[in-house]
Amino acid sequence: MGRSRPSSANRHATLETDQEARPGRTANRARGWITRRGTFALFALPLAVLMPRAAAAKPLRIVCLDDGLAETLLMLGVTPIAVADHEVWEKWVVEPPLPPEVADIGTILEPNLEFLQQLRPDIILSTPYLDGIKPLLERVAPVTTIGIYTPDGQPYRRAIEATRQLAALVGKESEGEALIAATEACFADVRQRLEPLSARPIYAVSFLDPRNVRVYGEKSLFQAVFDRIGIRNAWTGETNYWGFATVGIDGLATSSDARLAYLEPLPEGAGGTLTESPVWNAMPFVRNRSIMRLAPALMFGALPSASRFARLLAAALTAEHAGG
Amino acid sequence: MAEQQAILSGDASLVSGRASSSRISDRYPLGAILLCVVLLGAAAAATLSNLVVQLPPALWLDALASPDIDDMRQVLVHYAFLPRLAVSLLCGAALGLAGTVLQQVLRNPLASPETIGVSAGAHLALALATLLAPSLLAHGREWVALAGALTALAAVFALSRHKGLSPLSVVLAGLVVSLYAGAIGAALVVLRHEWLASLFIWGAGSLGQQDWSKTLWLLPRLGGAALLIGLMVRPLTLLGLDDEGARSLGVPLGAYRFAGLAAAVALIAFVVAAVGVIGFVGLAAATLARIGGARRLGQQLVMASLIGAALLWAADQGVQIATGPQGDLLPTGAMTALLGAPLLLWLLPRLALGLETPALGSERLPRARHSALVLAVIGGVLLLLLGLALLYAPGPHGWAFAFGDQLQPLLSWRLPRVSAALSAGAMLALAGLMMQRLTGNPMASPEVLGISAGAALGMMVALFSLSDAGRPVQTAAATIGAFAALLVTLSIGRRAAYAPERLLLAGVAMTALFDALILVLTATGDPRAMLLLNWLTGSTYSVDTGSAFFTSTTAFCLFLATPLFMRWLDMLPLGSAAVQSLGVNLRATRLLVLLMVAALTAASTLVVGPLTFIGLMAPHLARRLGLSRALPQAIGAMLAGALIMVCADWVGRTAIFPRQIPAGLVATLIGGPVLMWLLRRR
Repeated sequence: MGRSRPSSANRHATLETDQEARPGRTANRARGWITRRGTFALFALPLAVLMPRAAAAKPLRIVCLDDGLAETLLMLGVTPIAVADHEVWEKWVVEPPLPPEVADIGTILEPNLEFLQQLRPDIILSTPYLDGIKPLLERVAPVTTIGIYTPDGQPYRRAIEATRQLAALVGKESEGEALIAATEACFADVRQRLEPLSARPIYAVSFLDPRNVRVYGEKSLFQAVFDRIGIRNAWTGETNYWGFATVGIDGLATSSDARLAYLEPLPEGAGGTLTESPVWNAMPFVRNRSIMRLAPALMFGALPSASRFARLLAAALTAEHAGG
Repeated sequence: MAEQQAILSGDASLVSGRASSSRISDRYPLGAILLCVVLLGAAAAATLSNLVVQLPPALWLDALASPDIDDMRQVLVHYAFLPRLAVSLLCGAALGLAGTVLQQVLRNPLASPETIGVSAGAHLALALATLLAPSLLAHGREWVALAGALTALAAVFALSRHKGLSPLSVVLAGLVVSLYAGAIGAALVVLRHEWLASLFIWGAGSLGQQDWSKTLWLLPRLGGAALLIGLMVRPLTLLGLDDEGARSLGVPLGAYRFAGLAAAVALIAFVVAAVGVIGFVGLAAATLARIGGARRLGQQLVMASLIGAALLWAADQGVQIATGPQGDLLPTGAMTALLGAPLLLWLLPRLALGLETPALGSERLPRARHSALVLAVIGGVLLLLLGLALLYAPGPHGWAFAFGDQLQPLLSWRLPRVSAALSAGAMLALAGLMMQRLTGNPMASPEVLGISAGAALGMMVALFSLSDAGRPVQTAAATIGAFAALLVTLSIGRRAAYAPERLLLAGVAMTALFDALILVLTATGDPRAMLLLNWLTGSTYSVDTGSAFFTSTTAFCLFLATPLFMRWLDMLPLGSAAVQSLGVNLRATRLLVLLMVAALTAASTLVVGPLTFIGLMAPHLARRLGLSRALPQAIGAMLAGALIMVCADWVGRTAIFPRQIPAGLVATLIGGPVLMWLLRRR
């Protein structure tokens, strides 16, 4: 993929000159070959990122301030020129991989405006969380705000809407529909595979320290995944705006036959001290050995994170079933 | 000497209501015992109601003695509920004991783990060790905590030694050290926020347990320190007398003072290492024991331990009632701070702290012959720095000077930030100078007045009660908060004719209240707390042309009014008696100066957050450079404040490009050590 896309150094070198060659959305849409690719995108979606792009086209220069939107863009085959907090991607998102030439513009809350201006983006993708700095961002480029996590707590429905909105923006509507279809297909497939294993409910948690976890429930992306793959969420208690509740691990004892799925990354020390605690060792899911460790999946993500979580969970459950 | 007598008489006045009562109450602290019984009763009732929710009474004995491992309810009661109860009792007693010993050794009715910065020091040391050198923690958390606590205490002593460790100066130095520790903690969070959530829950004093190991860890350590204190009751009693009286009885004062302090600090460090910062239990327990009639030290130590244990037990069970045994985490330590800060406010008018003698007038510092020359030099450096800040910064191609066409778009970002930083720095410096001259206390500053905290509170309310509050709304809310805090401070001050020490301590309490709220919010893990933290650490990031213009204009108008204050500022350090003899209306003068300080602080806090040391530092810098009269010192301080703030903004923008360090934080990190060095050289 490196050949067809300008390298990091190239892009910097052309920064000053390519302003007049700003690409239009209509030009992107007019490219007919895209629809042909859409028909097999359903199977090849994970590869879509790796596909060579038309070398002649001037793609829209997008700066993306949200990892959920960025992963959706990548799955649509569009690489943003810059994201915030580049280095945490591997720790929290992992998949799809973020190409190394994507620039880092600093933290999500304070993206570097001078740097941003010198990157000359055509559009900045933001979330309602960042409305406080929207006026500043608008001085650099038009800002499109797409909210997946809102008070009405429908992240999955909104992630689908966001996918359509992004697809329309970059002129890849068919890829967008394919991504939605692929996500639904992934859920259907996982649901079928997990049918015999879905009797017991599951807690999905992230460890904050050895004693406290974030448990995901109503209003979370993972709840939507649970609903679609036919798994009961063991956490039925209240959750906040972002769909999680912070509880001590003893708070996870409400359901006696529940399994526990905990997500990486773990905070330092959480793994080591867990096994020494009597409360932990008395937890139902510890005693009947129903603990699954999952690779990272972005809990505040969009469709790619949702299907990644479903796949990780399915793999862990079937592995556990095969092993036990 | 007069000061110590004043403290002692303050003790007497606290218990004077008891003077006419019977002899039994002379011998026993009936009030304290009664309070203790009431608290214990409430705690026990709350405990029972919590326990009933978790487990039917028939199984209580089983759960206590030999829990059935198949019954999760019994396991939870035996390994979570009961150890938590034990830890709350142990920590409460330890803090009450430590508070009393500190108050006795320092002869300071306001001394406590929080007010002298020991808790904050221990907490910061643990946080730093967790992040930078986790292997240190393997040798024992208590050593790390102890090292941090002792460092903080040493810093407090170094800062207040020149005032003979007087109560007010120790508490103010304690606040400064706590603020500095807090600023470093905030820097850690801003730079590496993603996995610090746990640090926050722990820092806020969550008492949650999952086995008996912490109880068994605490028991011998706290017991040892308490035993040491118990063996020293007699010599410690003599420490409460004045030095000469004690020395004439043949007591090696220094040794016992050190041993008492060491034992108290060790108690605090153990508690912080085990459960984090438990706000204000030490102060509350020690004070309530004394108000409750415990007169002899032995009584005070016993009653303070009992009251501390009962307080924390009751508070913790109350928190569990509020959240339910499996509810969202509400850290007990932060909750006690929320309750403790109002207690401090209530105590203020009721404590006799002794009169503070003005210190600025008696200093032997250089006096510059040519103040104009000094000012010109500072001004020149400022201009040079302004040029650098506007033109020189890293970009996509590395460090570069910006010229011509490139400069125009960059200036539109840099100019508002630089001009806002400049105005804010100058305003804070002027406010600090006014506070220091008004109070005659070199540790006074607008940060201490509580107005910064008020502005931050207003902002916080806006952020959490309105969804998607934009910057105009946040600004308005912060302004309202600042003036509300001013009103509270002034209404407390009015009772004491705006006596400086009351105002400053009211500020201490407001700041503590605010810190506790922040801890509670961050501990809940709400992502909006990060927005708040960003602003708290003094980021000039979101300053746009409009707000920069607003800040600069406000600053300009306020500076125009400054010359009117200069005569008063020259007189005020002479002391209230001298000023009144010159025919000046002291009340009106103080009120006017305070209003000016409030306006300056509110306008600058909106830009650089509540956590800078500019107001504290800049006047000292100016004074060190030999500017002794009010007007030259004011101009020098304003130039120096602007200089530091512009420098901080520039460093913050460029040091870890493309990331940024908030300017307020950089100013604090640079300013703290400078300030401590300045104060040590007295």
